[in-house]
Amino acid sequence: MGVELFPRPHNLKSFTTSRSALNRTRILLRKIAWALFTILFVIVLNFFIFRVLPGDPARAGIRDPRLKAEAIEMLRVRFGLDKPVINCFESLNPVKLGSCNVNPLDTQFFIYVRNLLQGELGISYHTNRPVAEVLGERLWNTILLIGAGQILSIFIGVVFGVFAAWKARTSIDRAAVISSLVAWSLPTFWLGIILLFWGSKFGLPLAGKATPGASTYPLLQQWGDIARHMFLPTLTYTIIFMAEYTLIMRSSLMDVLSEDYILTAKAKGLSTFQILKDHALKNAMLPLVTVIAINLGFTVGGAVQIESVFSWPGLGLAIFEAVARRDFPILQGAFLLLAISVIFANLLADLTYTYLDPRVQTE
Amino acid sequence: MQSSTKITEPKNQWTARLLEFWRVFNKNRMGVIGLGMIGTLVIIAIFAPLIAPYDSSSTESAQIGDIYNPPSAAHLLGTDDAGQDILSNFIFGTRVSLIVGTFAAFISIIIGGTLGLIAGFNGGRTDNLIMRFTDIMLVIPDLPLIVVLVALTKPSLLNIIIVVGLLGWTTTARVVRSQTLAVKSRKFVLRARGIGAGNRHIISHHILPLVMPILVVQAVLVVSNAVLTESTLAFLGLGDPSALSWGQMLNYAFGRGAMSIGAWWALAVPGIGIVWVVLGLTLLGQGLEQVLNPRLETHHLTPGRPVVQNERDEFGSGKSADEKSGNILLDVQNLSVNYVADGRPPARAVENVSFTLKEGELMGLVGESGCGKTTLMLSLLRLLPSAGQIVNGKVFFKEKDLTALNEEELNIVRWSGISIIFQGAMNALNPVRTVGDQISEAIIRHLPDFPRDKRLDERVIELLDLVGIASDQKENFPHQYSGGMRQRAMIAMALACNPQVVIADEPTTALDVMIQAQILELLDDLRKKLGLAIIFVTHDLGVVAEICDKVLVMYGGVTAEYADVDTVYNEPRHPYTQELIKAFPDLTKPKKKLTSIPGYPPRLDALPAGCRFAPRCPAVFDRCHIEQPPLHKLGDMHFASCHLVEGSK
Repeated sequence: MGVELFPRPHNLKSFTTSRSALNRTRILLRKIAWALFTILFVIVLNFFIFRVLPGDPARAGIRDPRLKAEAIEMLRVRFGLDKPVINCFESLNPVKLGSCNVNPLDTQFFIYVRNLLQGELGISYHTNRPVAEVLGERLWNTILLIGAGQILSIFIGVVFGVFAAWKARTSIDRAAVISSLVAWSLPTFWLGIILLFWGSKFGLPLAGKATPGASTYPLLQQWGDIARHMFLPTLTYTIIFMAEYTLIMRSSLMDVLSEDYILTAKAKGLSTFQILKDHALKNAMLPLVTVIAINLGFTVGGAVQIESVFSWPGLGLAIFEAVARRDFPILQGAFLLLAISVIFANLLADLTYTYLDPRVQTE
Repeated sequence: MQSSTKITEPKNQWTARLLEFWRVFNKNRMGVIGLGMIGTLVIIAIFAPLIAPYDSSSTESAQIGDIYNPPSAAHLLGTDDAGQDILSNFIFGTRVSLIVGTFAAFISIIIGGTLGLIAGFNGGRTDNLIMRFTDIMLVIPDLPLIVVLVALTKPSLLNIIIVVGLLGWTTTARVVRSQTLAVKSRKFVLRARGIGAGNRHIISHHILPLVMPILVVQAVLVVSNAVLTESTLAFLGLGDPSALSWGQMLNYAFGRGAMSIGAWWALAVPGIGIVWVVLGLTLLGQGLEQVLNPRLETHHLTPGRPVVQNERDEFGSGKSADEKSGNILLDVQNLSVNYVADGRPPARAVENVSFTLKEGELMGLVGESGCGKTTLMLSLLRLLPSAGQIVNGKVFFKEKDLTALNEEELNIVRWSGISIIFQGAMNALNPVRTVGDQISEAIIRHLPDFPRDKRLDERVIELLDLVGIASDQKENFPHQYSGGMRQRAMIAMALACNPQVVIADEPTTALDVMIQAQILELLDDLRKKLGLAIIFVTHDLGVVAEICDKVLVMYGGVTAEYADVDTVYNEPRHPYTQELIKAFPDLTKPKKKLTSIPGYPPRLDALPAGCRFAPRCPAVFDRCHIEQPPLHKLGDMHFASCHLVEGSK
């Protein structure tokens, strides 16, 4: 873009319109680069948390006085703990400086990064299986649960939010706002418990993803079985997150409906329904996309709780079980996988926004 | 010069401001309920040992038969898996939740507040760095991270407080930053800097007082978040085993068979406690937010107030019998509009205004800002905001009374009979739909028989061409247009359904002189070509002189003078019109001094008792302060509302 001698008012106006100066490809590249940087940050964080904080049983075990010196040395070599943590640091807890003149590839940090790149996340203390293998299958279960819950809660939240905003200050609006505030205040795990208690009276399955032995059923019946198992966890998820989407949609639509162009639409003789459908919804949904993106990290927290209550075999349950068993490689791996998935999903939502809003220009 | 006193504004008067705040807050139902809910819990927490029926660690009575007993006289809320009294544990659990919540929130608020303040105040690279870091922390799922951190350190209350506090600052930082940014560029801060105040002084005396209220709201929300996180951690088995929090109670009950035994009380009670705190804090936060940032809870789709007709005609109407000849399109009679608000007297925004408009006629509607011009125009099509109400009068459009139509009938007249060119077309066009699309939408709505094929496109192109916009701009979005183009696109849109009357509400105000001239010429052209009747709302008397046939001068919501354009310019009778003309440069007398009218138009909720112009009128006399002048007829087509013209012709 050339120099503009007389900047037009809209270029100075707001955040969204100022982005129009950038073209889409540049925005795309910048966002992808930023996501990659965030992933890098998470990887580094994940490594140092486990090196700085006390409590890693690999190290704790090594300090066990009953072990002989050779056994300790063997364990140290096996876990790679004989190597310096990273250049200049022999260990970080307690902090011990070391030589800076080591081959970086021969330090714990870079060995960890190399293993990560090869998809290796360590070995579970509890089952002795590779962490990547254990978590791989569970990731999909979490995505299934979050996906179903998100779609439902966004859909219902948008519908409720639209009604509340349209009928602002009526009893419909008040009912929607108050019930949303109450639902918003429910601890996710507790709502899960209550629904579990309630669902048990109707013979709904209480735990897991499938009835034992269900894999011998015909395919359609297998799906039905999974759907029955998913019902309560998804319901919990939907109630919790629907509330937030309702409130956000309401406030976003209230803003849009106060805009001048809605008055124009009304002056054009459009019906209320036409105004909502053709002039307000898309504009009000745009901020919602951003909120969905920002919220994904929070959403995962909800999944951890729901999976723990319903024993849904996802990453959240893996975290819950790993905490109980102090299975740190699983904990570390699950956190890493969750964080990276969220960053990706976030990037996706962000890119969707770029495509939905025409104010981000194509060139 | 008013704001020069504001340099010291945010100082002192703390008590007065707090009292004022309390007075407003007291009226906010949500906030008061929330405060009550939290207050109750704080009292319970403080007096826990006095209230609780059993000692917190009394297990002496625990026997097999005491486990999971349902509520009874001895144990009002039943007993848990260890035979302990749930009510007592609940009461002591209040302490744990509130302590963790408050202290963790304290840490978060300090970190978030400081980072937000630094980022917002310094701007530039510091700001970028801090906000980038905040973004990263926002994306990382916080609960798993907290779980990892607490699991690695020892699950103790202190560790939980520190971890939750260290990770809960992100939203606070963002909110505080944007508030700091907003405050930083306000006049009194810039002036304080101008007179040499140091950064520390500016932050502590000017910025903090205005950031503080937002920080308080944020703190309330952060506390509720911390309470939730603590109970979640405890439920997941990471609580402090020595402090029986509500989450811990749920962890024990859920893990130790309450579900299979059906001991609902052991599961319900602690959860209700958590909901109570979080809901109370949420309501309190919402209430505070509403008090600090009041928002209108209405919008353009809020149903308008019904039209009422109070048959009164005290002030002699401007009803112009003279004009009954010719083809009258629009006949407005004694129109009055009030703005109504609860608990306040109605603001009389438009009172008793009458005028007529014939085919091909161009009427100027003139007056300062706040004189009711836009209100009058919006009321013609009943497009007033929901506080606005037509309290008297009729609007005949082709002999049909628009004030008596229902919404559906009105929708037919809107745009196809009377259309509006809104002021400030940037916001009057929908930013996410193409201009061509917004024009064809009007055609589809009002001309259902119009073929929806190539011919629709051609019609849109024809309309754009009419206003001088190239056809390849049709698929562009409003932000891709320049200001003048947007205004012209708005005109094209207003003409889309061949209306007989077009209301142009200050269509040129925000534009530069060249484009203004183009648009005026265009409107005048269209009137001649299409036989449109146009109402031209403006401050600009020059424009009026150039193109209008007649002029309605409004002041404070009433007609000051109404006459044909020659009369208004050559023999204005109302002092307001005279002053307006004096304030307008005359090319034939370049040496003449321009004068402005001192003061401002009256506030509609505080109108003067007599003539509304009296406080600013150069010819004011006693009667003007007591009696509102009626509209006097001075000629065939000349009306003025001033005591001075009474009896004259």
